[in-house]
Amino acid sequence: MNDIDPRTKLIQVLILSTLALIYNKLSLLSLILLAAIVIALLNRINLLSILIRLKRLVKMIILIALIQSLLTKTGNPIFRIGNFTLLTDYGLIKSLEFILRLGIIIVSAAIITTSSSREIIQGLIQWHCPYEIAFMVSVAIRFLPIFKEEMTDMITAIQLRGIDLHKVKFNKKIQVYKYILTPITINSVIKAKELAAAMEMRGFRAYPQRTSYMVLKMQAFDYIIIGLSIAAAFLFFTFQ
Amino acid sequence: MKAVEVKNLSFKYNNSEDYVLEDVNFSVNSGETVAIIGQSGCGKSTLCNCISGLIPRVYTGHLSGEVLIYGENIKNLSIADTVTRIGIIFQNPSTQLFSPTIEDELAFGPENLCVDRDEIGIRIEKILKTINMEKYRYDNPNNLSGGQQQLIAIASVLMLNPAILICDEIMSWIDDEGKEIIMNVLLKLKEDGKTIIMVDHELENIKISDRIIYLGGQ
Repeated sequence: MNDIDPRTKLIQVLILSTLALIYNKLSLLSLILLAAIVIALLNRINLLSILIRLKRLVKMIILIALIQSLLTKTGNPIFRIGNFTLLTDYGLIKSLEFILRLGIIIVSAAIITTSSSREIIQGLIQWHCPYEIAFMVSVAIRFLPIFKEEMTDMITAIQLRGIDLHKVKFNKKIQVYKYILTPITINSVIKAKELAAAMEMRGFRAYPQRTSYMVLKMQAFDYIIIGLSIAAAFLFFTFQ
Repeated sequence: MKAVEVKNLSFKYNNSEDYVLEDVNFSVNSGETVAIIGQSGCGKSTLCNCISGLIPRVYTGHLSGEVLIYGENIKNLSIADTVTRIGIIFQNPSTQLFSPTIEDELAFGPENLCVDRDEIGIRIEKILKTINMEKYRYDNPNNLSGGQQQLIAIASVLMLNPAILICDEIMSWIDDEGKEIIMNVLLKLKEDGKTIIMVDHELENIKISDRIIYLGGQ
């Protein structure tokens, strides 16, 4: 399943995310998430390891959902303290909807990552997306780990100067992050200049068109998957 | 024949009051390997950027004088004409590599110049053989050592087959083992008749040069 064309995966993800945006019912969103999980498993994705890697994001999603449910006052009260309504059924449903939607987005993103960024870009180019836009996306993906590494280095450098970020008060923490982000921003600008120079010297945008060494070709299997995905979405749309 | 001629070249950056380069004059013969040395901040990298046309294309400032590449002013050359005559490799290998695989990285330049797909394939095989990295063809450049990354940066530039190669302190981020490998590749290119301009402040790194130009006065 990992050999399927990146465009097939993009279509599947497009269908999943569109359905997730259209529908509000918990049962339907659960079904869409289930479909996304099945597709991910067929692509041999280890969802558990992704969840572990994204544990901070997952915690944040749960926290936002919790705040959302507590701040929603519409609906029938489920939990009260005296006269104060802490949780309503509507608030709970809305927060679960939020969790399910983000779950669908995370699993969809995982499906896309089974193709390399170059393959995805080539897919977009063959769909007549301008090369410059597709290339910008690729460069952003390429440099994310480098920025993460730089951020870690800066935090370590700050900690080596005797500042424990876990113990610093909130207002001072903002000040510390200012010290961290300033050199990272400057380094990013320098890196962007160096990258532009390297690209220029390799003939970037020398001509309005360019050839592509990589060419993607859809197989019969891709067309079957796309057909099945569209048919499934249509059935879902009709019988929900 | 003169590959590079630098005549009365002066340059200062927009945000600076002082000139980085002042009335620089020299020439490099075709097939010659020339080293440019000088103290930190004397303008070696700026000079490389002027010769390669990156100044004023990417880096702007006040530029006077002229740089001739095989008799033609670099200002009058298109991007395609420039990159097929001059290639430049920088200090930091990580900002020169931006593709997910080495094959993609090597193909990037020829793709921009609309080189035929079959020809790109032939060039990739040839260049990987030159730098002895055939087995890394489908690897991510991020997973390579600094020396290997710099070799890929050199190979990426050589994919456009430029007659002149500028190496701007390319050894400064590399360990001793990597330096030796890069030096052997440069030696091979020198034997093949490539014009090489090496910029460095360590004499050990420029031992293959035929001539040394000191930037910063004498």
